[in-house]
Amino acid sequence: MRISVNGEIKEFNRERLMLNELLEEMQFGKGVAVALNETFVLRTNYAKIDINDGDRLDILSPVQGG
Amino acid sequence: MINSKSNKKWKIEGKEFDSRLMIGSALYPSPEIMKNAIIASGSQIVTVALRRQSAGEQGANPFWEIIKELGVTVLPNTAGCHTAKEAITTAMMAREVFQTDWIKLEVIGNQYNLQPDPFALVEATKVLIDEGFRVLPYMTDDLVLAQRLADIGCTTLMPWGSPIGSGRGLMNPYNLKVIRKQFPNLNLIVDAGIGKPSDAVEAMELGFDGVLLNSAVALAQEPVMMGEAFKYAVHSGRLSYEAGAMQKRDMASPSTPTVGTPFWHQFA
Repeated sequence: MRISVNGEIKEFNRERLMLNELLEEMQFGKGVAVALNETFVLRTNYAKIDINDGDRLDILSPVQGG
Repeated sequence: MINSKSNKKWKIEGKEFDSRLMIGSALYPSPEIMKNAIIASGSQIVTVALRRQSAGEQGANPFWEIIKELGVTVLPNTAGCHTAKEAITTAMMAREVFQTDWIKLEVIGNQYNLQPDPFALVEATKVLIDEGFRVLPYMTDDLVLAQRLADIGCTTLMPWGSPIGSGRGLMNPYNLKVIRKQFPNLNLIVDAGIGKPSDAVEAMELGFDGVLLNSAVALAQEPVMMGEAFKYAVHSGRLSYEAGAMQKRDMASPSTPTVGTPFWHQFA
């Protein structure tokens, strides 16, 4: 399946992919927040969320801001 | 030491602070200068943001470690959002990452001057207040917009002085003055456009409760020194407001006593 992760297309040869597996596989840190198709996903739900072909993920972490 | 009224704590969104200066964490020449400028400014509220993390960046986040070490209250923003939905999602992500229900809500309506979109701002504010956020809306200096935001539960309003990063100071002091007059019980912060400490003094002398700025310190030739300059400016402006400035006059009025002035004689 093809997933857009932070704007880049990534291929996963998996029948089923959970959000927590994707984050682990791509080595994202713990202090991130995730939006799936522009909707916020609670950290406690990562293991319950199925990722599907065409999904768009935004994975954000703290940066400088004004 | 004489205690002025201004030495009392300032309360905003349920928390107490000594400083009325809120400062941004962006655009500094280095993380070290950022840290020292924040310390020199005396600010206890620092704005931060969220951006996409690169895959593989599992290690610590040096920027975030510095901010945590400073022990300040963080105010996450929704910078870069152009719709209410984007801003709401970003706010929820920020609440989880930064562990705070405070949000500096920005919904940009125009790319040229980064003017906030008042309609989307009200829409997002309503949703976020219902979700339990303490919304500090970045807004234009529009009185009716201020009323709408107050009506839906905002207790802090943050009208712009002038466009973000422009350093143009207060474009329309009259509008700010009217908002102050109409909302005596809300916390009012001038957010954006401050260029010099004298702009901050002006905002505080209008009776604003605080000032939020970033570029004015970060882009100064000496950011740490400018941070300190703003510390004094905000404090000075507040003291001036509380002390109550004299009325302007058209004619001069001597300050030295006129009784007993020498060289005047009846024979002259």
